[in-house]
Amino acid sequence: MIWILVIPLALLFFYAVSVYNFFVSSKARIKASIQEIGNQLKRQSELIPNLESSAKGYLKHEKGIFEKLADARKAINRAVESGDLQKMADAGAKLAGMLPDIKVVVESNPEIKGSEVVQNLMNELRDTSDKVMYARRLLIDLSADFNVKRATFPSNVIANMFGFSEVEGLKMDEAGEATKVTRESTKTPKVNLE
Amino acid sequence: MKNIYEVRQSNEIKSFIVIAGFFLFAAFVIYILTQTFGIYMGYQPGGFGYLGIALTFSGISTFVSYYYSDKIVLSISGAKEADRKEYFDFYTVTENLAISQGLPKPKIYVIDDSAPNAFATGRDYDHAVICATSGLLDKMTRSELEAVLAHELSHIKNYDMRLMSIVSVMVGIIALMADWLLRVRYFGGGRKNSDNEGSIGAIILILGIIFAVVSPIIAQLIRLAISRRREFMADAGSVEITRQPNSMISALKKLESDTEPLEAANKATAHLYIVNPFRGNIKGAVSWFSGLFNTHPPIEDRIKALESMA
Repeated sequence: MIWILVIPLALLFFYAVSVYNFFVSSKARIKASIQEIGNQLKRQSELIPNLESSAKGYLKHEKGIFEKLADARKAINRAVESGDLQKMADAGAKLAGMLPDIKVVVESNPEIKGSEVVQNLMNELRDTSDKVMYARRLLIDLSADFNVKRATFPSNVIANMFGFSEVEGLKMDEAGEATKVTRESTKTPKVNLE
Repeated sequence: MKNIYEVRQSNEIKSFIVIAGFFLFAAFVIYILTQTFGIYMGYQPGGFGYLGIALTFSGISTFVSYYYSDKIVLSISGAKEADRKEYFDFYTVTENLAISQGLPKPKIYVIDDSAPNAFATGRDYDHAVICATSGLLDKMTRSELEAVLAHELSHIKNYDMRLMSIVSVMVGIIALMADWLLRVRYFGGGRKNSDNEGSIGAIILILGIIFAVVSPIIAQLIRLAISRRREFMADAGSVEITRQPNSMISALKKLESDTEPLEAANKATAHLYIVNPFRGNIKGAVSWFSGLFNTHPPIEDRIKALESMA
């Protein structure tokens, strides 16, 4: 008879332990994923001077590119030093935003477009901005999992019991430009293939 | 319209039902066959002695191939490790996807074969291997490659290799026991009839023989159903990682248009490829029936499932 009481209690206990462990370990993973973003940005800022020096000969006349690259690198360095997640994310976006500019220069000049060094520069730049994007994705996914579990029944009971608060994840300016759809962005983008 | 989280949830539920159903079925069949053995061999039913032998036989071989699955890849003709310089996209895309999932970067290999395909294997995250053919690397754009590799990474993340190994052991046990029962019946038939066992014994005996004939086929069919379920799951997992259903769709369309079979493929690993390496795509009236014997769902169905997410 006593088993009727003991077994459900034991199951309940194991459930509570596993949920508690989920919260604790995913907090640790979220912390690690923030470090991963910093790590990727650091890689990015170390990579850029290398790429610059190797492609300089080919892009002599395109000083603008190097100025932009240098700007992006400085911003990244500052962000990594400050350790502020938001600044890090912004700095990463800066480089990704530059890619189209560089592409325009490269595409418009068949001579440099054909060169392997410049192709390599493009590939590396794309890859490094992908890496930062995916590192951010990990943080977004982990904090979403955490917050969903914290808010849904029955795991929210355990979360409240031990006082787990919502994790912020990657902050987006909720009223800012990113959430607005302008008339411009609803139009089909025109691609000029000349 | 479902979003990817709902797709994942319904996938997980369906997957759970299929797998739970399989284990119940396997336990039931093994029990019946053991009982029949017992009666047939003339001792009181209830022992699981034969199960032990069958388990050992079937288990050892599958376990070895599972445990060394990452090493076996190397023995496949011409699989060589991909370096960053030569296979820049393959290398960096795998690296990036692993970052997004917080997994260690799997080892990556290239098979020199013009049939586009890819597969994943390895017993756990630290021994994971992703293998792509040179045909795949040539034909895909970077974002399509990303979708295909994310599919393979989902197989790794979901421990599909482990699951399919366990399922294969069960199928092997059922097949082995059924085979023994039929052999014993055939060769030793008439040596000892069930007259003295009573009518219950006779019923179990008949039931057992029916099971011996039918159950290996059913077990195999369920195994393939699980395999197809896991493909849908890996497709959904791929979209969850890349957030781009369209690149998975265009990758699958490219793979569909290619009908060349992969020479390096073997049956044991067929379920881990992105598309069926044997290309047994039959269309029309027989396709539903032949579909039951496929490790992969038809590509049209996979595209349809992806389109519902796009």
